[in-house]
Order: sequence, then structure tokens, then C-alpha cells
Amino acid sequence: MSKLQKSAWFNLGLITTGSLFALLCFALAAGRIEKGFNYINVILCLIMMCILIPVIYIISKKKSYEAGFDEREKMINQRATNLSLSGLIIFLYLACFIPFIALGGGNIIKVIYLPVIFICTVFTAQLIKSIAVIVQCALEEEDGQ
Amino acid sequence: MGSNKLSNRIRRLRFDNGEMTQQQLADRVGVTRQTIIAIEAGKYAPSLPLAFKIARAFGKPIEDIFQYEDENT
Repeated sequence: MSKLQKSAWFNLGLITTGSLFALLCFALAAGRIEKGFNYINVILCLIMMCILIPVIYIISKKKSYEAGFDEREKMINQRATNLSLSGLIIFLYLACFIPFIALGGGNIIKVIYLPVIFICTVFTAQLIKSIAVIVQCALEEEDGQ
Repeated sequence: MGSNKLSNRIRRLRFDNGEMTQQQLADRVGVTRQTIIAIEAGKYAPSLPLAFKIARAFGKPIEDIFQYEDENT
């Protein structure tokens, strides 16, 4: 397995773990937060994000293989990043417009869904990027045989 | 507009140079074996610096390694 494929699988595993952990923490906190606005809950959420995001970022950078990519791998990685950005925009569009179309403009959704949309968007973007890298590498390996 | 075709003789030159492996060539020019495979198969067009490195690895001019055919010419 090349460094590029290892990087794709590693990032996919990291973001999946991070997303599941974030959703779990969010689900546990959501019940308490729903009871009413509470400064302690807000501070706990901010602390969690201030710890979780830097930890994931530091782990991904320390274990990142991207510094060792050659020009072809950089090109594949760039194509996958562009695709993931497109996927991110499409996902956000669907997440925002489907409720609007389904429920109508006059209805209300709970703000509790906003963090869920955020976590799912980040996960979707990384999922698309990792799959794009793995598929591009697999197609080249198939042709090269 | 005609189609452009970049071909190469890397596989032939590897065998002519002491049966050099793809990994050995990759190590010499600083890329992965998968990149060499992709170049040989015509799936990837190397950058100019990489093309020159490959030519130097074989000790030949770049035109002996890579050929560019334009259907219009």
C-alpha cells in the first residue's frame, strides 16, 4: 500500500472516530442543554471543541504522510480535495434545502440539529476525499497490471 | 484540434540498463514505484524536472526517453 493510500485510510479512520466521539459527546450534552440555557454547558462545549479539534489536528499532522508525497501523489491528493469540497457544498445544500422544501418556510427545526449537520458535513468531506484517493489508486493499479 | 500523445521508452531502457527495476529507477529519481508504473503505462505525464531526472538516470537526452506526437504535424 502506498503512502497516499495509507494516508487516505488513516484520515478516514481518524475522522470517523472523531465524528463518532463528537456525536456521542454531543448526544450526552444535548439532553442537559435542552433543559435550558446554562453557561456551564456552553463552557463545557467550548472546552470540548477547544480540546477535540486541536487534538485531531495535531494527530493528523504528526501522522501525516503528505510531506512524503511525490508529484503524482500530490496531484491525486489535490483532485481528491477538490472533489471533497464539491461534496461538502452539495451536502450542505441538501442539509439546508431539504428541510426547507419538506417542511416549508414557516416551520421551525430545533437548533440541536445544527451541530449534527456540522459534524456530518466534516465527516462527509473527508469520506469523499479518502474514497477519491483510494479509487484513483485502485484504477491505476488495475491498469498497470 | 488534433490529439496529443506523449509516449516513452522507459521500460525498454530499464531492461537495457542492467535490467533496472521500477523500484530502483523510482529511488534514483525520487518518486514512488507507482509513479514509474503510471508513467510507463502512459497514464501520467511527468513534470519537466522529473522528465529530466529520468533522462539523467539513463544518461540519455530527454528526446530519447519521451516522444511527443501531435496528429496535426
